[in-house]
Amino acid sequence: MTDNVLEFRKATKLYSGVPAIDGVDFQLRRGEIHALVGENGAGKSTLTKAMAGVVTLTSGTMLVDGKEVAPKTPLEARHLGIGMVFQENSLVPTMTVAQNLFLGQEKFYNRLRGIYIAAQQFLQSLNFDVTPTATVGLLGAAQKQMVEIARAVLHQAKVIIFDEPTATLTPEEKKYFFDLVRDLKKRGVSIVFISHALEEALILADRITVLRDSKHVVTDDACNFDRDRIVQAMVGRDLSNTLYGKRKTAVRPAGERVLTIQNLKLAPMVKNNSLSIFAGQITGIFGLVGAGRTETFKIAAGVLKRDFFHGGEILLRGEPVRYRVPAPAVKAGIAYITEDRKVEGFFETMSIARNVYLGILAKFPGGRFLLSRKEAQTSGEHWIKQLNVRTISTHAKVVELSGGNQQKVVIAKSLAQDPSVVIFDEPTRGVDVGAIVEIHDLINRLAEEGRAVVVISSYLPEILALSDRILVSRQGKVVEEFSGLDATEEKIMYAAIH
Amino acid sequence: MALRRINQQGIVLGIFAVMFVAFTAFLPGFFTTANMLTLLQNVSVLGILGLAMAIVVIGRGIDISLIAVLAVPPGLVLQMVQDGSSLPVALSVALLLSLAFGLFNGWLIAYAEVPALFTTLASGLFLAGFGQAALFKLDVVQWSPGLQGFEWLGQGQLLGIPMPIIVFALACGLVAFLLRSTRPGAYIYAIGDNPNTARVTGVPTRPIIVLQFVLAALIGCFAGLVMAASVNSMPTRIFNSTMIYDVILVVVLGGIGLSGGRGGVLNVVIGTLLIGTMLNGMTIMDVSYSGQNLVKGVVLLVAVIADSFLNPRNEETAQQGDI
Repeated sequence: MTDNVLEFRKATKLYSGVPAIDGVDFQLRRGEIHALVGENGAGKSTLTKAMAGVVTLTSGTMLVDGKEVAPKTPLEARHLGIGMVFQENSLVPTMTVAQNLFLGQEKFYNRLRGIYIAAQQFLQSLNFDVTPTATVGLLGAAQKQMVEIARAVLHQAKVIIFDEPTATLTPEEKKYFFDLVRDLKKRGVSIVFISHALEEALILADRITVLRDSKHVVTDDACNFDRDRIVQAMVGRDLSNTLYGKRKTAVRPAGERVLTIQNLKLAPMVKNNSLSIFAGQITGIFGLVGAGRTETFKIAAGVLKRDFFHGGEILLRGEPVRYRVPAPAVKAGIAYITEDRKVEGFFETMSIARNVYLGILAKFPGGRFLLSRKEAQTSGEHWIKQLNVRTISTHAKVVELSGGNQQKVVIAKSLAQDPSVVIFDEPTRGVDVGAIVEIHDLINRLAEEGRAVVVISSYLPEILALSDRILVSRQGKVVEEFSGLDATEEKIMYAAIH
Repeated sequence: MALRRINQQGIVLGIFAVMFVAFTAFLPGFFTTANMLTLLQNVSVLGILGLAMAIVVIGRGIDISLIAVLAVPPGLVLQMVQDGSSLPVALSVALLLSLAFGLFNGWLIAYAEVPALFTTLASGLFLAGFGQAALFKLDVVQWSPGLQGFEWLGQGQLLGIPMPIIVFALACGLVAFLLRSTRPGAYIYAIGDNPNTARVTGVPTRPIIVLQFVLAALIGCFAGLVMAASVNSMPTRIFNSTMIYDVILVVVLGGIGLSGGRGGVLNVVIGTLLIGTMLNGMTIMDVSYSGQNLVKGVVLLVAVIADSFLNPRNEETAQQGDI
């Protein structure tokens, strides 16, 4: 019998042709705590989802106790003894703790008193301080997590996977969580956890695996690692032959201070965030998941819905502004180019020309009560040429274009509004390499024209290739600033993790 | 996509043609000038309501309160004139009532973010109940001498064409102009295609949603005036009928997807013609009221099923409460 309770061999998962994990080998020993670390998009989540049966591998094999398996649903994975505690809670908030524990296993006659007693006994045996009759929605983050863990144990999981387990916990709760995980280990359960907090990985884990750009980099005992070695492994790319290869030799000087954000608060994502954006240069914003980058700029552009403004000030050229909806922000010259173009980027059933024309209408409604077919056509053709959108005609529907060309349409729709502040949120996500080069050229051109350009990106090489000035965001606020000249991947990553 | 939509319109037109030919061949008295004019006259009110519904549905909403606004403000005009007010005063009051009603609906949907389906279901019930309880003395508000001349809107003729048909044609022209050639029209399609994108692009989505429901209420009131003028009374119990289903039928059958952003006035015209032919044929065949309801129910079911296949809603932009 093998020592590995769970093993992946050459595991690959493609999402529409793009690998999320690429030929990854991974072994989980019986009764060990194994940490998975890596940048956003390195493939950690996909790997754990494959373990839990949420996604199926495109190729490669998965072995549980040495036997080849291919769980297609979380239920099949659970029968194999693999349980996952998700980042987003998978509990039913309106049900009690006991009902959640036994969800899906109820007998036909579901006597509440019976499951309360069973739950009480079970929770006591785990030493969990949770009342079985409490409603889950009213519990704190740590207690919800306990319920999830208890449920995994109840399902007799041999392997429990945690996705960012400590992200929502307070320091005391974290300590308690660590004890709990060690206790599970004593019971012979193997643990996999994803973490952005390197200290936690170093303290808690027996072994650490680092992923980078969908590939396995290194697996070793935690005692052989220190912060430096992990950061090296996370960012150590050889970029000399890629489009990110050339380093900046000069940065553009800061122009007028266009946008100032002071002490911005939005529970729980943005905490006392302060930063400034200047005209005529590109400000890169780097941060890991949960750093509050997108939220900060969505508030500035009025895009965030239900913006329960908890304080702070936003100044546009010295004037305090506070946009509740995007329309006045657009009129004031702020363009937010979304990270999720399908949801809020383009009008899918409309032509490219119509998309661009709607942008013009929204920014400059004066004198345009009657629509002009000619103006729509010429502005469509102008922007298709400007951004080199590859399409048959201006009448092609946006939904029929490739990802890169769709992104260009989204950008064209905003640039047609002649904004003075352009906020790009993940400008090259899901975009082919050729289009990436073109979009980067365009972003540079916008800064040359004197506009204030913000690039939010989770991809370090992109930040380094574009930015004149780099702000690093961590846990809801900007914590470090670098010049584009002296920043390195290591320095930025150091600031971004904690 | 373009091909698909043409197909849907083509299918409906095809069904219309087959039905029309079949009725002409087998129903004596169907294809006569008199009957054709009756047919068009009967469906013109439905068609005008269809236009109101189309504006809202293209913007990803629905307005169930149309029949209430069809019955109550025009009923009020008849009642006020009966009680001694002059016609212009009564008309202005009705207009203001419709405007206020549309604003109320629109505000609830756009600003309080209550789903359109539930808002208009409740507000329509309220308006109809308010009319029956507080405004009207009888269920059927009768014509009175003070309205002399107003019946021309429903019974008059211009160049031998009955007024309701002319009025429907005019309304089609106006709504088509609004939807195709004006900025608010472009905004309505934008909101229907993707409300999130419209918002981020800087479209004033909330005022435009209010505008949709105000227009729907005003058009609905107008349809009621035409109806009252053609039958010389306002049977306010029409709110309790199945007429709202006919309106939805016209819109969906005509090919305006319930998922929003698609279709136009042409679709309303096609849908109206098909429903008009169907109802007229059933009346000539002397099908009972319940039999007609059965047929309409089946057709509506088939239409919404076909609609959800041909115009699937976009999962990524669908919101809770969307129709």
